[in-house]
Amino acid sequence: MTASPNPCVLLRGVTKDYNGFRALDDVSFEIREGEIFGYIGPNGAGKTTTLKILVGLINDFRGEVLIGGYQLPKEKLEAHKLLGYLPQNVAFQEWRTINHALTTFGKLSGLTEAEVEERIPKILELLSLADVRHKKISQLSGGMAQKVGLAQALLHNPKLLVMDEPLGGLDPLSRNQFKEIVLKLARSGTTILFSSHILSDVQDVATRIGILSRGRIKMVGSMNELKSQLYSQKIVEVLLSYVSDKWQMLGTVKNVSKIEQPSPGRVLVYIQDGADDDQVINDLVKKIAELGIRIRSISPLEPSLDEIYLNYVQKGEKA
Amino acid sequence: MKLKLLFVDEFRGFYKSKVMLFLWIGLPIVALLFRFVQTGTTGQSIPFTVISALIVSSLAGTLAAVMLTVSIINEKNRHVYELFLIRPLKRRDIMLSKFLSVFTCVAIASLIAIMVGVAADFVTSGALSATVFQDTAKSLAISLSMVAVACSAGVLIGVAAPSVLVGAILVIYGGNQISVIPLVPTLLNLPQADLFTVGLAAVVTITLLLAAVGLFERKQF
Repeated sequence: MTASPNPCVLLRGVTKDYNGFRALDDVSFEIREGEIFGYIGPNGAGKTTTLKILVGLINDFRGEVLIGGYQLPKEKLEAHKLLGYLPQNVAFQEWRTINHALTTFGKLSGLTEAEVEERIPKILELLSLADVRHKKISQLSGGMAQKVGLAQALLHNPKLLVMDEPLGGLDPLSRNQFKEIVLKLARSGTTILFSSHILSDVQDVATRIGILSRGRIKMVGSMNELKSQLYSQKIVEVLLSYVSDKWQMLGTVKNVSKIEQPSPGRVLVYIQDGADDDQVINDLVKKIAELGIRIRSISPLEPSLDEIYLNYVQKGEKA
Repeated sequence: MKLKLLFVDEFRGFYKSKVMLFLWIGLPIVALLFRFVQTGTTGQSIPFTVISALIVSSLAGTLAAVMLTVSIINEKNRHVYELFLIRPLKRRDIMLSKFLSVFTCVAIASLIAIMVGVAADFVTSGALSATVFQDTAKSLAISLSMVAVACSAGVLIGVAAPSVLVGAILVIYGGNQISVIPLVPTLLNLPQADLFTVGLAAVVTITLLLAAVGLFERKQF
């Protein structure tokens, strides 16, 4: 999956106030074509407001927003031709069946009658909804309705797919199905922006991540960039098979700046800046063998998205 | 093109609703019952066609306006419009299609009621005079004028009101008062009052719809 250098989405200095409350404060980021952008942040951070501005539901804001080169809200009609959107709480008119809803939304998105007829069975098959095609949406479960929401967003093959908490209400099987669909779409060139509270799911599919806290962007980058920002120094974790004092000797390995044992049997080895971490790990393994220390594992310590998220969000809360 | 698509779509939604079922079937039945009661108590009978027109203007207008208001507020509060607003269509088409579909439904229901009236008058009297047809056409035109005003008031209140309760109260009291405005020329016995009534109704309807569309255009979802 390779993202094009051209930005599909561009936000510059976007600020939005609700009756004196600043929901978004100078938000700027861009998403390149073919990227999967995970947008995370605590409740009330402003994620939904950002997405609503992006899809043209909120037009009263300051700053610049471009979708595929079209400026919002001025060139909204052109931008909407490129767009598929799944809202957080997707709702349909109660009298609609799945087939009827998809037919209407397909045609409103510019598909012809023939294209609608061709696309609906395919999309329903993809989302395991073919059996309930003629059922009223109001009779479906929340998860199924969410899938219908995804179907209407995908039906017209949008260039940009924006989804607000798309995984909420989905069972684990459907979540995996969703992630597969997202990865497949990105491979075919669709740009995807989605917000989520389920960080493991974001980590699984997102190529870049934006962290929002209290209406401000705290960090934007790939997982590797976020990790390197959090841990400025590379750390190797060594888990000992049994508690031994010999671990202190690992400090003598070349390019090791510091060692510590935060808990019995768990040793953290800090690598000097600029050193080749693979070489240091090799040297550590040799030293461990030389000292006769028995270990369970040795691996570079990488922060999870949860740790990164908590770090940036807590910083935001303190600020 | 998109307006036509939305209109057909909304029409399909409204004509199957319970309120419309009442208008399609209940309206002629209510008019029929009213006629028999009126004949029984006064010993005189007003032509059924005229009764049908009276029923249409008083009942159908209110029902249509309430239905529009409640439907718009519900859909607005449930965020139904988000899926429409992110598509390449004009916001005004969403509200206009609602107005047109309900008005068309009521116009068809009115025609059905009038046709039943004509048939009933023919069965009871054996003949229909030209005056009855003329009066019926006038009554129908006035009724539909009032329904158009009521429907546009329903759309405006639906867009503006924050809750179903507030909307229902406003449309039942305010909507009914506004829909009587076209009757002013008739009440003042102006020459060609019927024409004035239709013209005034058109002006009020367009004004209310413009206000509703303007408000909907500015709404943040």
